Amino acid sequence: MLALYGNGVGTGIAIGVARVIRQSDHEVPHYDIDPENLEQEIDRLKLAIKSAAQRLAAIDAQLPDEGASEIRGILGAHLLMLDDPMLNQEPVSIIREQGINAEAALQQHANDLEEIFSGIDDPYLSSKSVDVAQVINRIQGALMEEQGDRGIWPEVEITEGEFDSEIIVANDLTPADTIELNKHSVRAFITNLGSPISHTAILARSLKIPAIVGLHGGIRFLRTGDLLIIDGKRGVVLANPDEATLEAYRIRKEKILRRFQELEALVDESASSLDGIEVALNSNIELPEEILESESLNAAGVGLYRTEFLYMNRAVIPDEEELYGKYSQILNQTSRPVTFRTLDIGGDKQIDGISANNLITNPALGRRAIRLCLHDLALFKPQLRAIYRAAVHGRVRLLVPMLSNFEELDQLFILLHEVREELRFQGYDFDPDVPIGGMIEVPAAAISADLFADKLDFLAIGTNDLIQYTLAIDRVDDEVNYLYDPLHPSILRLIKITIDAGIAARIPVSMCGEMAGNVRYTRMLLGMGLRDFSMDLSAILEVKRQVRLTDTSKIQPMVERLLKTTDQIQVKRLVDEINA
Amino acid sequence: MIVHRQIEVINKLGLHARAAARLVKVCSDYESVINLHHGQKSVDAKSIMGVLMLAATQGSSLELVVEGEDAVAASDEIVSLFNNCFDEGE
Repeated sequence: MLALYGNGVGTGIAIGVARVIRQSDHEVPHYDIDPENLEQEIDRLKLAIKSAAQRLAAIDAQLPDEGASEIRGILGAHLLMLDDPMLNQEPVSIIREQGINAEAALQQHANDLEEIFSGIDDPYLSSKSVDVAQVINRIQGALMEEQGDRGIWPEVEITEGEFDSEIIVANDLTPADTIELNKHSVRAFITNLGSPISHTAILARSLKIPAIVGLHGGIRFLRTGDLLIIDGKRGVVLANPDEATLEAYRIRKEKILRRFQELEALVDESASSLDGIEVALNSNIELPEEILESESLNAAGVGLYRTEFLYMNRAVIPDEEELYGKYSQILNQTSRPVTFRTLDIGGDKQIDGISANNLITNPALGRRAIRLCLHDLALFKPQLRAIYRAAVHGRVRLLVPMLSNFEELDQLFILLHEVREELRFQGYDFDPDVPIGGMIEVPAAAISADLFADKLDFLAIGTNDLIQYTLAIDRVDDEVNYLYDPLHPSILRLIKITIDAGIAARIPVSMCGEMAGNVRYTRMLLGMGLRDFSMDLSAILEVKRQVRLTDTSKIQPMVERLLKTTDQIQVKRLVDEINA
Repeated sequence: MIVHRQIEVINKLGLHARAAARLVKVCSDYESVINLHHGQKSVDAKSIMGVLMLAATQGSSLELVVEGEDAVAASDEIVSLFNNCFDEGE
């Protein structure tokens, strides 16, 4: 048995047979061809190129008419590349001159092209070597298929057996692959590349199957036909498990499935407690596409749209029009409120297009989030304008991260006023009444939450940073990680202060940190008076279940006691009691 | 007839795969021989691989050389394609 670790996507377990998609050159066969058979080998290559083109055309024909222009454009480019003498002539010469097989010749040419493209000093264009590699892989796939291998995608239906389907093992999956993936009854997939927020991961979530991404080369240990167990929650792949492990996972899989069905049944149920308290369970999203999942889960709205993603992995930051387009796209797909958190970057969250001082010793305390944005209006203003303009398409709230003092707030209000005046003067259609809220994630803001509440339309507690700043521990530093404690009395008090400040000022207070999505804290937070939670999409139904099983009137007195307890073991015991 | 024209790449992503595909398709409709020069490089504008290898990013200045009967019409359409950001809106 072999265990590989990566980033798990989805919480399910899949058991199935591996199908390794050939994408790496060391699997390309290499052999000599007798001189009299060279022309035949060249024909074989030409035929493979033709069948690769037919495959692409077939995929193109299956695309929906709308919303696929990007993929269609890429497929079109790939078709042209297949047809380009610069791609398909050189391998022919290599076969002829070196007397080697088509696969090897093609790979040799691919390596040369790769070298040329990786020499291009521009992130957009050098990444086009990926397109070249994908096209070459299509031809390789066609060559191997013709050699008796059924190829990447079996044409025949997978026989239903004990293991109901296949697990796709790949270096990475392309948009075209993902379309084909949709057609086959794939149980799970695992890839070397990708992160939990990559498009691959989103695809897995939308197909409701587990996936492990970011295995960093781990797939080289796997072969087609291996029996695999995929544990999406733990991010682990088990290859050729022993019978006992397999049995244990079969049982867990059943359990998860039942629990999943139980949770699915809650989608249309209300998020109200046993004593009739209505709670808003919102989603945290990062990609515009995730709004669909938020809608299908029946989330109360988007409590936190992290706008940073549109700025990542690119050399030039997006302009107002692009932002306006993406923001409108989200709002056009929901009638529920969407809270846009303005750029939370700088410090430890670096973005390519924005230069920053890398020599800062304490980035978390540096010029980040609203500090950076107020300093760099060329960065901030287009975003504010785009949010105001997009707001006519839906219900928008604007949330500002990392506020710590009132000068920032005053500057923000002056800037927002200026933005609105400009938009009005320029004749843009916009919504001037977008509610403005502040993140309470710096202890200074939590302690003076009542003063912030007087000036703002809503507050949102960001627990991750609040804990890090209050306890003075760096979450990513392994040596002090053990001090990270959401139940520290100071944290609970700061949360309580903030909730109470909101109630006194009659403005909504939400929580959007990790604590809000952890069912261990749901009851405690309800007892503290929190009524608005925002969390990862995967947590919504679990938390809803917990809310529906809670009687807040019984919890409140226990929470009173909790807030006065100093002994950490006692605190944890009380939380267990609350959850009992 | 030979037409020489200077072109500036104004779209944000430069001559990326989709834009290159558009350009190649437009050029392929003309009889003329169409070449693009960028620095030391010179490529056939009817070859997508060639166009991609030009590595023309936003702000690059290219020289277009069209030779043939329909050179004027071809160069006009190519220049307007660049100026319209390959109909991609940015």
